[in-house]
Amino acid sequence: MLKVDAERDQVTVVAKTEGRIDSGSAQEFQAALEKVIQPEDKALIIDFENVSYISSAGMRVILLTAKTLQRQGGQLALCSLTEPIREVFKISGFDNIIAIHETRAEAAAAISK
Amino acid sequence: MTTDVSSENTEQTEELQDDQQGYKILVVDDEPDLEPLVRQRMRREIRSGRYSFVFAHNGVEALKELEDDDDIDMVLSDINMPQMDGLTLLQEIPKAKPNVRSVIISAYGDMQNIRTAMNRGAFDFITKPVDFDDLRVTIDRTLRHIQELRDALSVRDRLVAIQNELDVAKNMQQSILPTVFPTGAGYSVYGTMRPARNIGGDFFDLMRLQFDRIGLVVADVSDKGVAAGLFMMSSRTLLKGAAVGKGHPGEVLTEVNSLLVEDNETGMFVTVLYSVFDPRSGRLTYASGGENPPVLVRADGSSEELPLTQGIVLGVAPEYEYMENSVDLAPGDSVIFVTDGVTEAMNEAQEPMGIQRVRDHFAQSPPKDPESTALAVIDVIKEFAGTAAQHDDITCLVLRRDD
Repeated sequence: MLKVDAERDQVTVVAKTEGRIDSGSAQEFQAALEKVIQPEDKALIIDFENVSYISSAGMRVILLTAKTLQRQGGQLALCSLTEPIREVFKISGFDNIIAIHETRAEAAAAISK
Repeated sequence: MTTDVSSENTEQTEELQDDQQGYKILVVDDEPDLEPLVRQRMRREIRSGRYSFVFAHNGVEALKELEDDDDIDMVLSDINMPQMDGLTLLQEIPKAKPNVRSVIISAYGDMQNIRTAMNRGAFDFITKPVDFDDLRVTIDRTLRHIQELRDALSVRDRLVAIQNELDVAKNMQQSILPTVFPTGAGYSVYGTMRPARNIGGDFFDLMRLQFDRIGLVVADVSDKGVAAGLFMMSSRTLLKGAAVGKGHPGEVLTEVNSLLVEDNETGMFVTVLYSVFDPRSGRLTYASGGENPPVLVRADGSSEELPLTQGIVLGVAPEYEYMENSVDLAPGDSVIFVTDGVTEAMNEAQEPMGIQRVRDHFAQSPPKDPESTALAVIDVIKEFAGTAAQHDDITCLVLRRDD
């Protein structure tokens, strides 16, 4: 089961995601993120600590989310990726266009700069 | 009459559907010498009733022919013609006959017109001067696609459901895969794609290039369904067009990426590993757009993963420039290209397989011909996966430099 929990403070929204993001759950993931993001939001951090797998359908949701934020003048960052998922982002070259941070604190610090 | 046994093309004439009594192809060209040439070079197919041809000399004549004759299955059209050119004709065909598919004959490397043609719904293209072996393969592929689309659509009429959309996409996917593998030119090659039940957009392709070189594509389109299927079709065709027009794999990916990025609001993307093998020098040059690294296996079974070129998946980053690497293959060396359906194949404990098991296998029993090598990779996956369901397409393409 995929789970997305949002926490927000003044500057950022963190979407803590849990489970597998594959073609079966990608739409659910997209719908959950769309619900989380408000038009005035300038930064979203997706916490990947408990994500066990992401397929290309999931990567597409990440990409669309980045575009949505870009359109409203915001930015997307990911944090706490497990090694296999970090590798997926590296091979696909997505780490060239999506900000990836070790920890949530580092992601938040990079955004508030 | 003596039986014609010359084997100018026996292997390509694989059987289409048994229940077909033959397909009718409309050839449109203003040059008068194409008609006798087609009749001569396609005489066997005509005699067997497999294809029949009708001819028109410009777009206006072609449209009239299409209106008068409901049996025409596909159109093969030149671009430059008087009265109505091929590109205009392409726009008119779907209005007149939505189920007819078109193949365009273009000048060598004329990407501008090829791109316009594809945007206007051409299924494929061939280049001048017409290579009739290539033409046969292209015609068969197009007709197979038409047949599968018809089958899928007839099912769809009865059961309008998401599953059918997936079937349409899957049929598109199957219809673009090569079924003929070249041998005897200093290398041999074999590819297989095992579709997952509901998702996946893998495909592979082979392209004969100038100076006896061969272009090899392994690719994976994100997501599923009809939209992904169409994205796959245009990716494949743009790759083919760019491969024919440009020499270097890096340039090919750069060009295809820039074409795919335009108007890509869906966020769809495609991972591609494109390589060119030159049998004269033994050099393999490749560029990666988000694909897994190829694996080089030497004749003695030792192996290495070839370094990636750091490229991003195609369709998302405007004006991205793709880099390339090259490696010299010794006689007897094999290169294995796989998609993530191989490395991310899951076992019962939901662990991904990785590539090491494949390398271990070949260390024990070094690769022989590409077909057995590719099938061995599939067997390694099956053994690892056990009873776990296949969750993504699996593609394996193998190139071997002849001993």
